[in-house]
Amino acid sequence: MARAESLSVPQSSLWEKLKTFVNAELVNILAGFLFLLLVIFLLYPIVAVLIKSVKGPQGLTLSYYLKFFVKGYYFRSLTNTLLLGFINTVVCLVVAFCLAYLTTRGPLSLRKPLKVVSMMPLIAPPYLFAISLIILFGHSGIMTKAFGIKWSLYGFNGVVIAQTLAFIPLAYLMIENTLRSLNPNLEESAYDLGASEVRIIRTITIPLLAPGILKAGLLVFVMTIAEFGNAAILGGRTPFLAPDTYTMIIGEADFEMGSVLSVILIIPCIIIFFLHNYLLTGKKFTTIGGKPVASEPRKITPFVKIPFLAISCAAAMAILVSFGVVLFASFTKILGINNQLVLSHIKNFDSNLAIYNSIKVSLVAALIGAIIGTLLAYVIVRGKFFGRSFIEMVSLSGFALPGTVIGIGYLLAFNTPPFKLTGGIMILALNCVFRFLAVGVEAGISKLHQINIEIEEASSDLGANFMTTFYKIVLPLMFPAFVAGFIYTFMTAIVSLSAVVFLVSPGFELAAVKIFDAAVYGEIGVASATTMKLVLIVMICMVFLNFLTKKTGFDISQKKGV
Amino acid sequence: MNHSQWMLILNDIHKFYDRLEVLKGISMEVKTGELVTFVGPSGCGKTTLLRIIGGFTNLDSGEVILDGERINHQPPNLRDTRICFQNYALFPHMTVAENVSYGLKIRKWKKGKIAERVEELLKLVKLEGLGGRMIDKLSGGQQQRVALARALSLEPKVLLLDEPLSNLDANLRLIMRGEIRKLQERLKITTIFVTHDQFEAMSISDRIVVMKEGIIQQIGTPIEIYERPRNEFIAGFVGYVNFLDGVIEAFDIGLERATASTSVGKIQFIPERNIHVGDRVKLVIRPETISISKSQPREGNNIFEGEVEIGMYVGSLAKYTVQVKGERIIIDQANPRETGVFKTSEKVYLSIPINIHLLMKSAAP
Repeated sequence: MARAESLSVPQSSLWEKLKTFVNAELVNILAGFLFLLLVIFLLYPIVAVLIKSVKGPQGLTLSYYLKFFVKGYYFRSLTNTLLLGFINTVVCLVVAFCLAYLTTRGPLSLRKPLKVVSMMPLIAPPYLFAISLIILFGHSGIMTKAFGIKWSLYGFNGVVIAQTLAFIPLAYLMIENTLRSLNPNLEESAYDLGASEVRIIRTITIPLLAPGILKAGLLVFVMTIAEFGNAAILGGRTPFLAPDTYTMIIGEADFEMGSVLSVILIIPCIIIFFLHNYLLTGKKFTTIGGKPVASEPRKITPFVKIPFLAISCAAAMAILVSFGVVLFASFTKILGINNQLVLSHIKNFDSNLAIYNSIKVSLVAALIGAIIGTLLAYVIVRGKFFGRSFIEMVSLSGFALPGTVIGIGYLLAFNTPPFKLTGGIMILALNCVFRFLAVGVEAGISKLHQINIEIEEASSDLGANFMTTFYKIVLPLMFPAFVAGFIYTFMTAIVSLSAVVFLVSPGFELAAVKIFDAAVYGEIGVASATTMKLVLIVMICMVFLNFLTKKTGFDISQKKGV
Repeated sequence: MNHSQWMLILNDIHKFYDRLEVLKGISMEVKTGELVTFVGPSGCGKTTLLRIIGGFTNLDSGEVILDGERINHQPPNLRDTRICFQNYALFPHMTVAENVSYGLKIRKWKKGKIAERVEELLKLVKLEGLGGRMIDKLSGGQQQRVALARALSLEPKVLLLDEPLSNLDANLRLIMRGEIRKLQERLKITTIFVTHDQFEAMSISDRIVVMKEGIIQQIGTPIEIYERPRNEFIAGFVGYVNFLDGVIEAFDIGLERATASTSVGKIQFIPERNIHVGDRVKLVIRPETISISKSQPREGNNIFEGEVEIGMYVGSLAKYTVQVKGERIIIDQANPRETGVFKTSEKVYLSIPINIHLLMKSAAP
């Protein structure tokens, strides 16, 4: 008996030691595990694309890149994409500035309706605008036939219009935010010193907003050049990088050129991602002293009011009309040609199956995404290990990476062992998880910053170990962030097209892909009906998010990557 | 009175926010070169009134007359008033000199003249040599001076200061208060100063306008406001005060003496207004006018016995709460070193002076 006891003592102390070690190092172990996931599901696919683009039959080669720069068609798709990004950014910023100016400085009666319409595209997948443009200005579009318009929708112009409408809210939200936080006393002071409104905008408002406008511009630029749907549906014969990648892979099975196009597309995105982060941490003009005062509506001079109103109303009308025609198209046989009311598009079996599949995938993605996002936020904020900011950067980068690139990356990376995932629902879900991780992580980080670390210290002081503290204190406090991350991942995943279009297997179609195919084949009714169903789902998510925000005073950044 | 003596006339100004009336008929005049302070608790409408004078807020009815000219709906850039906001509202992307010269450039002054004027203004506010600084490299007090220089740059007829000192720490506030007053007197510039700090108002103003709930309660010099407040609110607003309800018992016109019976006993005083026996009044007695002693004073009226409830020594004075026949009387005793601080439950004698301000509650029936 005595012997047995003396033997068991060192054994249990070893066990105890291990337990203590695990408990003390749990944050680091967790961080290591999460980092491993990031490496496998975010870095590895990108590296796989990079490798594919330089790996020839006989070792490393740059011949594919050479082909890109020599063959006019490929190179044109780069210049087209950059030009598209540039024009789109400028147009979006101008429109968003007008809208934001009117909704923060303009007449009270206009503020709310304009704001609502400006944000409406947020609830729609970006390709809604491609569909509405086809209905209105396509080969047999309503306007085309009514006015005999010769102008061709398919090509550069159509893409610019659709993209502008789709990304107005992104620019609007950022500019409106900075405009609202701009102390109105600054503009009033300039007014008081004799400046006219035009002069105030030129010398005070815009210079002070410059960092915000620049940030919004960078974001719109990245989103535009990476956007797949609009360019693929409306691009026609005009080459753009993102849809060309799709054609290369799916149409011609040319993985090498597809990879080259992806790498080329990723470069501006990464540059801008760093620029954007640099600007975020960079110097901002701070308002000095005192509490900001609410902006009183004031008379806007006609010189400003008329052009601003004209631009804003045109954009608002375009957005409303787009939603309207897609809604009508869902319930008519072929809107503009045969206006008979039908329910067949809504009842379409394929469409509903695709919606069901999408919900399934998005729910899985949302659950995993919210869990990983919350844990990542925790290790980023509370961890004390080397490389914390690197983990943060990687986890936020999925947002800046074009969907097509991640799509190809997954196709290349998870087609062969050790990580064979293709053909299943998991590859679709995981793809969405890591692409849209940024929002969940950011929500978690901002929530954690509100939670005083002393709360956790108090818990340890009372004898709780790390697990208990995490489980009993941290998780409940972070729950709103978890829910926000969940809903957000869900609604972004369900409309996302650009990556999953590479990953769906023939028997398992997703709603976004179904819409894309239907739009390309001219089945506008089905495309519209499926889009409206997605709009409805996203609207419901928005209502939940809004409720959550009101209930917990918790605001998540409005980012949108599709 | 000569009309031109008034730089600014406000005539029956009303202002509504939605259905809430925030200014309920404001009428007053400001003399040329005068410093007038609007004071009152937050929400009293003082800042709204200032913004109406500056042209930032539209009035719903009434008149604003600046130097004989009706300027009701003139926008701020066209009227000759300049405002200094509470948060200074300095343009953070410009240097000190660029801030100060912003209005001059709009007036298309020549470059050389602008430089001269900026120099002169910076000297005026003691910021010589700091013209090239960025705004965020200045201290709070310096920012305040830049805002002042900028507002003065166009030599306005009326300078509007909206709680200009509220962002400064206590010491700096005292210094800047003095400097603003000195500058204002030197330039003889008509100034309207808004504050919620009654002591700031008392120390800086020629006249004070006390406001509450959109109504002017009283206009007067600091002494008038303090010594002869028109109602309970004003009396309480400009410092602590003991109120004693009483009824006039006797009034001798020849001797100019009256007696009121109150809850602590009979109090004699010199009536400052027309009163009648039987009038119900409120006696306004400031804590620092009452003297407190250990032994009963040999002579004098209005001597009451009481018991110390709380005694607090605050350095320059001792503050007491004394119970007199169930009534709490607050007393500030200056220079408590002489007598020492009385302790709780100690028996003391209070002597109330005969110069007492009266508020009428109701006339005798």
